[in-house]
Amino acid sequence: MKKPSIKTWRRALQIGVAVAFILIPLLNHFRINYFTGNFLAFYAAGLPLVDPLAVLQITLKNYYLSVDLLVGAGIALGLAAALGTVFCSWVCPFGLLSEWGQSLSGRLLPRADKGMSVKGRGFRIKIILFGLGLAGFLLFSTTPVLNQLSLPAWYSRIFQFYFEQRHISLAILFLLAILLVEFAARQRLWCRYICPQSFLLIAAKLINPSRLKIGFQQDKCLSNKAMSPCQKACSLSLDPKTLGESVDTECTNCGDCVVACKRMGRALGFQFGLRYRNSD
Amino acid sequence: MSKFLRPPGARPEKEFLARCLQCGQCAQVCIFDCIRMRTGFDPFVSGTPEISPRNAPCELCMRCSAICPSDALEDVPREESKMGYAKLDRDKCYTWKGFIICRSCYERCPLKSTAMVLEKGIYPAITDGCVGCGVCEHVCPEKAIITVPTRFVT
Repeated sequence: MKKPSIKTWRRALQIGVAVAFILIPLLNHFRINYFTGNFLAFYAAGLPLVDPLAVLQITLKNYYLSVDLLVGAGIALGLAAALGTVFCSWVCPFGLLSEWGQSLSGRLLPRADKGMSVKGRGFRIKIILFGLGLAGFLLFSTTPVLNQLSLPAWYSRIFQFYFEQRHISLAILFLLAILLVEFAARQRLWCRYICPQSFLLIAAKLINPSRLKIGFQQDKCLSNKAMSPCQKACSLSLDPKTLGESVDTECTNCGDCVVACKRMGRALGFQFGLRYRNSD
Repeated sequence: MSKFLRPPGARPEKEFLARCLQCGQCAQVCIFDCIRMRTGFDPFVSGTPEISPRNAPCELCMRCSAICPSDALEDVPREESKMGYAKLDRDKCYTWKGFIICRSCYERCPLKSTAMVLEKGIYPAITDGCVGCGVCEHVCPEKAIITVPTRFVT
């Protein structure tokens, strides 16, 4: 039997998480409370996992930090510092929906020049939007209002609303509208430019230069096309062959490019620390 | 203005909203299904917990305040969970009107004999020990009791 690829494992985990957050409110409804919460704060049998941005907002407004919040956000940020923003590509259910939307639009919509490279621009726009959002929060809001921009939280909240109180949340339409815009634009707009929750994860991963990254070896690369298979595979349309921090910043370590490259020359692979450099 | 209660142990409203993560765990651990998450898209309150005692009152089991990760609900003893206070309308109450001796509210009060007493052994009366859980409002057959949330008192 064929050994499952990284992408198979990743999809399994993503779908598993997405299904788990449907089941958890249902189990809670039947009084099984080993797992509670949503993507803002979650207890896995006593172990807290908290959205770092929610903790930041609460700490900034209340000058307060509880042990659970510290541990929960610490785990999330520590994971990002060690393995990169794997939350976005391996866990986040909106990321899964967004990826499916992308592959669907790639199949259905006519293929234009998708080769538009977006080096680093995404993160720059995200810095500006995050700054504006945080300033707005500090000036005008007393509640952690940026939590409302967390799409995975809305995903889990839809099922909390439904199974706990039989309320069908109109947030479904909100999520569908964003997916539709991304589908039409053929870009993962929310994840790349807006999602404020991922900003702190990116910041945490940039602190650690020896985190998990995608390494590239020029001498093993067999592709000489303008649009190499690895770039085609990347749902964020990054070019894994370009070395440097601009791509690393946005890369979520999903490993799709590594899988695509395996058929060609095995020039790409996961590794800790700096990227390979071709002998120059 | 909507008249829902915050769960037991909730801090004063402004402080509560500043701390609430909107994670909904209080609603998920509530075994009486009285805590509901605020629906809708108001960005400042959406997802925060609320209790409507007419539908389902709080029984002061205090599971919600124990699990709250950001201490928006403080882990206090049930006697100190100031959610609100109950007001008894003596003109409506069966017992005070002299129809029948009804003790529904007294019998169901989680803080029986501290929050609610029987004057002269018959007439139900609410004391300062009431924390406003809303059970009496829920069980009163004549709807003679309403629960006023603490945040509207100041």
